[in-house]
Amino acid sequence: MLVMGEVHTGLLQNSGEISESTCRQVLDLLSGESVRVSRRPIVYAISPDRLTGVDCRLPSASQSRVRGVGTVLSRCAVTGGRIAQGSSYARVERATADRRLPWSHYLARPGIVEVLGKAKTRDLADGFAGDPPSGCLDLGAISGRFLDLVQSSPVLDRRAPFKMPRSRLRWVAESGDPSIRFTLHSDQSRTVHLVHRGEFTPDVVDLCEDLALHDWLLTALLALVERAGIGTTPGPQAAAKLSPAVDHLLHLWMPAAHVDGSMAAYWESLDRRPGFTRQWRSLVDRVRDQLALNTLSLLSMNAEAGRRWQ
Amino acid sequence: MTSVNAAFGEVAAERRIASAPLSHVSIELGHLYMEDFEAGPDRLREQFRRVAPWAAAVRSGWQERVPGGRARVSTCFLVDDYFSRFSTPAELVPMVLEAAAEHDLTIDYLARESACAEWGGVEPARLVEERLVDDPPPDTNGSRPPVKETGWLCNGTRSPHPGAVQAMGRAQRWAPPVQNAKRGHSIFVDVELWDESGGRRTWSCPFLAAVWQLLRLGLLRSEGQVPLPPAPRPAGWPTGWDALPAVVQLRDQAPPFSAYTTLSVLSPRFLPVELAVRTILSQVAVDADVLRQVGTRSEGEGIRLEEELVDRISYVFG
Repeated sequence: MLVMGEVHTGLLQNSGEISESTCRQVLDLLSGESVRVSRRPIVYAISPDRLTGVDCRLPSASQSRVRGVGTVLSRCAVTGGRIAQGSSYARVERATADRRLPWSHYLARPGIVEVLGKAKTRDLADGFAGDPPSGCLDLGAISGRFLDLVQSSPVLDRRAPFKMPRSRLRWVAESGDPSIRFTLHSDQSRTVHLVHRGEFTPDVVDLCEDLALHDWLLTALLALVERAGIGTTPGPQAAAKLSPAVDHLLHLWMPAAHVDGSMAAYWESLDRRPGFTRQWRSLVDRVRDQLALNTLSLLSMNAEAGRRWQ
Repeated sequence: MTSVNAAFGEVAAERRIASAPLSHVSIELGHLYMEDFEAGPDRLREQFRRVAPWAAAVRSGWQERVPGGRARVSTCFLVDDYFSRFSTPAELVPMVLEAAAEHDLTIDYLARESACAEWGGVEPARLVEERLVDDPPPDTNGSRPPVKETGWLCNGTRSPHPGAVQAMGRAQRWAPPVQNAKRGHSIFVDVELWDESGGRRTWSCPFLAAVWQLLRLGLLRSEGQVPLPPAPRPAGWPTGWDALPAVVQLRDQAPPFSAYTTLSVLSPRFLPVELAVRTILSQVAVDADVLRQVGTRSEGEGIRLEEELVDRISYVFG
């Protein structure tokens, strides 16, 4: 029927970026299962999948009572040794029986939540994209707990270079004519509605996690630039406030680096409108211009001082 | 300029899952505890006498099912060296093999129960414990972590603690436990998985039996590898259990140890243990890639396996 997911993204609670081997420790969520690490074009580490059992109401726009039973699939990722993500999703499918079956039935279908009784795909998709009432499937809480698991790892020093709230990206995917809609809600909440051709594949999840990552980067850089108070704060102070952006964020922008080629078109269309990369480049230019201006004024001050000494 | 398709791979970014060779069925001919050993060789002979006709029936059943009658049927025998240590391989193994031969039974693999807990740096019991996904009671929506009683696993909702006080200060009344997937009435099962004393964990018998079933079904992996692969028969039987490999292959031509399905022939006194085993196995999440691997292989042979792993296990209690 459809797939629902939620990704939470935040700055890793550590003073500097962590090495590949530390990433492996932080993401070691299941014994006997390796953390997968990809090094090109950016270090990207991903934990093994974990399952959570659920038996609850599914969000529905019409407020009808729809019961879903099954498992939610979750995983954590660390990108560039700097950004952590907790991600969960469930494929929602119609059940063959109208009653709850023994648990072994659901464990034979990992990551699938079966709908007991009648439900319309549109109704569920709209319900999930809206604000699901309490008591309904809470993928946000599950993703949040997985992100907490990473952030509370004893190998992290918990001295992040700056404070930045987590962002939440809720997504719904269904099959049809390809399209994507990205909506900004409150400060930290976003929704994505994605329509893909053919059967659902985990490539969709990779894409949504990548979108969440870049949306968080953009939001964080915007916040840092805003906090710097360019134009109102004296140059050196503004430059100092921008330095965490240079140290920790600017090198991380790599759209679709770990997304399957078949999903690239979605990124490209979002880059045309609203133009994430355009906004990112303009912000990066702004940061660099500020730093260049500050360097120039420091150089001219030094030259001035030098002349006085002669 | 013509476009070029570039391929780039990173070994550390890919998941590799070794496949286990598989028989059609793995028959457990016996499970030897200290009390059985103490009862003398007659108890063993009695066990094999009871098992022999069932083993023959299962073998011929599979021979009919498999094209050309080429059914792969492997047999195994488990010795408990975990809960109590008794005898030695040098004394026990020849006695077991002899008693089996008296009833025309061949034991292909001999395994040690303690290996289900730990062997050669691999802890199969830990692997299984971490793969337990609790059966959720209705209204579990993920907003809170699952309610757990450390070291226990059940198939429903437990009774409230006696004496527990609700928010308004009234003592909570007794309520019955409820099975999650009940049909009409509940059969509530609560299984102790392990206990600890002096910082040392002891796994329960049903838990190790669940691990044993998963090993026989070839559904466990550790770092992508099959844990406890069978080792060749040693030149001589050692005088200590620790010197014996986890699983010993007794016959060179034996079909693979792991199998699509398992059969255990047990005394009815093990009925509660096996109910507990099924309660545990119904909550083990086997790796999706491993499930697919086994599914594809069996379909390639024209065999449709049961989707739920508990349905791949069968018993004869007699």
